[in-house]
Amino acid sequence: MTLFLQFLLSGIMLGGIYGLIAVGLVLIVKGTQVFNFAHGDMAAAGAYFFWWMLVKVQLNAGLSIAGVVIGAGLLALLLERFILRPMIGKPLLSAIMVTMGVGQILAGLVTLFWPGPGRTFPDILPSGTIHLGAVALSVESLTSFIICVVVLVGFYFLFQHTDIGLAMRGTAEDHQLAQSGGIQVTRIFAICWFIGILLSAIGGILIANLHQLDRIAVSGFILKTFAVVIFGGMESITGAVIAGVIVGVLEMLGSGYLDPLVDGGLAEVIPFIVLLLILIVRPHGLFGYVRIERV
Amino acid sequence: MSRRPCGTFDTRYELDIAVFRTPFHWSMFGLLMIGYLGLFPLLANDGYLAIANLISITLIATLGINFLTGYCGQISLGHAIFVACGGYISAVLMNHLGWSWWATLPVSVAGTALIGLFFGLPSLRIKGFYIAMSTLASYFIISWLLMHGGAITGSINGLPVDVPRIGAYEIVSQRQFYYLIAGFLILSLFVAKSIARGRLGRVFIAIRDDDMAAEVMGINVFAYKLIAFALCSAYAGLAGSLFATYWGFITFNHFPFFENIMYLGYVIIGGMGSIVGSIFGVLFLKLLGYGVMMFGPMIGQAFPAISGSVVASLLLIGHGAVIVVFLIFEPRGLFHRWEIIKASMRIWPFTY
Repeated sequence: MTLFLQFLLSGIMLGGIYGLIAVGLVLIVKGTQVFNFAHGDMAAAGAYFFWWMLVKVQLNAGLSIAGVVIGAGLLALLLERFILRPMIGKPLLSAIMVTMGVGQILAGLVTLFWPGPGRTFPDILPSGTIHLGAVALSVESLTSFIICVVVLVGFYFLFQHTDIGLAMRGTAEDHQLAQSGGIQVTRIFAICWFIGILLSAIGGILIANLHQLDRIAVSGFILKTFAVVIFGGMESITGAVIAGVIVGVLEMLGSGYLDPLVDGGLAEVIPFIVLLLILIVRPHGLFGYVRIERV
Repeated sequence: MSRRPCGTFDTRYELDIAVFRTPFHWSMFGLLMIGYLGLFPLLANDGYLAIANLISITLIATLGINFLTGYCGQISLGHAIFVACGGYISAVLMNHLGWSWWATLPVSVAGTALIGLFFGLPSLRIKGFYIAMSTLASYFIISWLLMHGGAITGSINGLPVDVPRIGAYEIVSQRQFYYLIAGFLILSLFVAKSIARGRLGRVFIAIRDDDMAAEVMGINVFAYKLIAFALCSAYAGLAGSLFATYWGFITFNHFPFFENIMYLGYVIIGGMGSIVGSIFGVLFLKLLGYGVMMFGPMIGQAFPAISGSVVASLLLIGHGAVIVVFLIFEPRGLFHRWEIIKASMRIWPFTY
């Protein structure tokens, strides 16, 4: 039972990060109708950029975060204007491939500037262990979880209670209607990309802080988030958070109990098994729109 | 010249459906074959032959994904894993059951087709983006199985693969492999062109353009999507089996996630739904890659600060940038350019 609670708790902690990254993906899908396959590389680039400013330029954590925010904003503006805007109205494959191409460019830039093996992150979060009865919980992952929750709550407030959030929700409903209602849709696109990239970069920093700063590891982690997005339903932000926690718990329970039986490494594959099952059983996910189209 | 001058009419149905329609076509085809099978392997050294061999194997695999994504419109984000499956089936049968490579080849092709069929099953309920997601899941699930297969798949170390033998004759050198792979490539191209021109190809195009309209016309869309998945994987299996025996051993490191994106890139840059386009796409991206590998170290010497990973990073940046630029400026791919060049040659010296 202790073991179960332990896995459950670490699953929830993991799920917080999944939720954070998945919300960024969902926001981009909702706002711009593009699924961002470059999310993993954006997270890795963000984490490396943060590490570079923190360790090499020797800024403090706050200024480094400010740098990441500015970088995310610039990247979002460039992406929206020069790469995604020509893709409006193009077939699905073009939109998918263009984000993949962007991802490869970012991955190449990361390898160009920060070659070689992964980096160790300096301790930016408090470390230590809390014991809740028999269950141990590292302060680092708890702090990460709290950061995720705070960011998500802030995002929820932005999305539900501000004018810009209203414009974003309107754009998500219908581009043309939003435009005729006086919303500048291209600007909303850029904002969606900005917030999405920022969330992915924060997620990347948290992952790199918990494990190790490595491009392949970070982008691999984020590929697993795709399962969360589908599970929660492509258009649902609540769904993304709930599914993040569920997938995190499943991953921890599955790998915790079954890893000794097989060769290990189940954590890498459980989200994808969930993804495949969801696609077969309930393709629209927990809270996605059901589009009835039988072929 | 490459098109027929006006006033030349088909008098028999065979002429109407011929691939090569004029003596000019035949002579160009003959020259190409002489160059491909005669001059190039005679003149090239082992380095160039190795490049040609790897390009040819990639091209065989790309013909497969061209059917699934280019003709049938189902996006596959897991093509590399089916190539891996083909290679692993050959390797496992040869290592554990002692089969010869030739005996494993049909099993590998059929087995990979079945695996592809299985992972195509979600297409009963889902389409478009969700199919891409299910193939992505299949990539990670199969790759986990291959990595954790214990002694059967050799886990991380992979498996050694023997060379093909015909009686006592062994295919070992680059030149011998060149002819083996060229034979399979020509066969694959012939089969692919025949399928694409036939009923099956037309059905695939109908499904790609509008699956509901296809269903209304009496096409069993689900069955044909499954056929497309099987066909795609069968080509991947052939390519994987060839790759395993050519490379001499197989590990999972040959099939990183990056390869999936590359296969889609070949199809898009060449031009979706065109066999010639696949050839162009593979040649263009692969030669770009080899060019970067050749000139990358020079750039590294010029800028010592970044020399550590200049080739790896330039490969990634180059491929990504080419894909993005093509999608923005020439979404119909190199094949479309080729058609424009042919058309302008036909009406030369006039502009229209």
